[in-house]
Amino acid sequence: MSGVLTWRGHSWIALPARVYLAVVFLLACYFKILDPGAFALDVATYQILPLSLINLQALILPWVELLAGLMLLLGLRTRPAALLVSGMMVMFLVALTIALAQGLDMGCGCFANEGGDDPISWHTLVRDGIWLALSLYVLIFDRRPLGLDRLLERKTRES
Amino acid sequence: MSPLATVRDAALVVVLSAVLALGVNAVRKDGIPLVATEPYDIFVPCPEPSGEIFELAPGEIDWGDDRELVIDARMPAEFEEWHAAGARNVPFDFLDPVADETIEELVKTRSRRVVVYGDGQNPDTGEELASELSGRGMRNVHFVPGGAPALRGEVAP
Repeated sequence: MSGVLTWRGHSWIALPARVYLAVVFLLACYFKILDPGAFALDVATYQILPLSLINLQALILPWVELLAGLMLLLGLRTRPAALLVSGMMVMFLVALTIALAQGLDMGCGCFANEGGDDPISWHTLVRDGIWLALSLYVLIFDRRPLGLDRLLERKTRES
Repeated sequence: MSPLATVRDAALVVVLSAVLALGVNAVRKDGIPLVATEPYDIFVPCPEPSGEIFELAPGEIDWGDDRELVIDARMPAEFEEWHAAGARNVPFDFLDPVADETIEELVKTRSRRVVVYGDGQNPDTGEELASELSGRGMRNVHFVPGGAPALRGEVAP
């Protein structure tokens, strides 16, 4: 069992997963940062958060997505970034499940691209579940095969 | 990196994100208030009953069969202007569901087949009503693609 966990190949499998998640989150944050008002409406549509928290969530979440996405792309503090992505995916999955259980007919607001989002469905849930699995894989198995973390580590060793 | 350091760094990123978000929001012209004062005007359609329906070309309707229930989903004024022989008028409203009493009346007819036609627009009121009737328990519900115009021969079925 420990041999499976310590297999070096995980690190190289985690690399494309890391880059893929980075692209997803960078795309996801773009319209949300551009138009926080529209994203706040998306957040409100889920009818989960109290009114006092909707705008704060709509303002801060896209920036967390941006920073986490950049960190994953650059390989900088990969594990904290993967932890953040995993946390956000859990949050999105809970919100989606509640909305689906209530039978709400609405767009997911995942990419907030002005009505371009598909309506939420069990497919959305499966997709987010896959992204959660990928982020957990990166969190557990990424050994920084490529990225700024590795460069910084080398420089520290050299000096 | 230890798990504790991972959590600490993640928390720092959240704090940095909050500072950036609030800072950018403060300086941009279209920034939003940190706390909404008015409830958001959200419109989420309630889940509507919908069931299986089938297409039926105008030529396939058996006009002489008493067990065939033909329903016109258009508004009463349009129904008065023209309607298929023997059709009942059950106006379809996108916002209001059909009254329970009306459904009961339709079920009581014990029709072998229910044929609904509407305005033939997109979305077609006939198709919408057929879906609602089927979703509310009626069986063997059909709709006429193209609606009343197709039945009148104005549009090729």
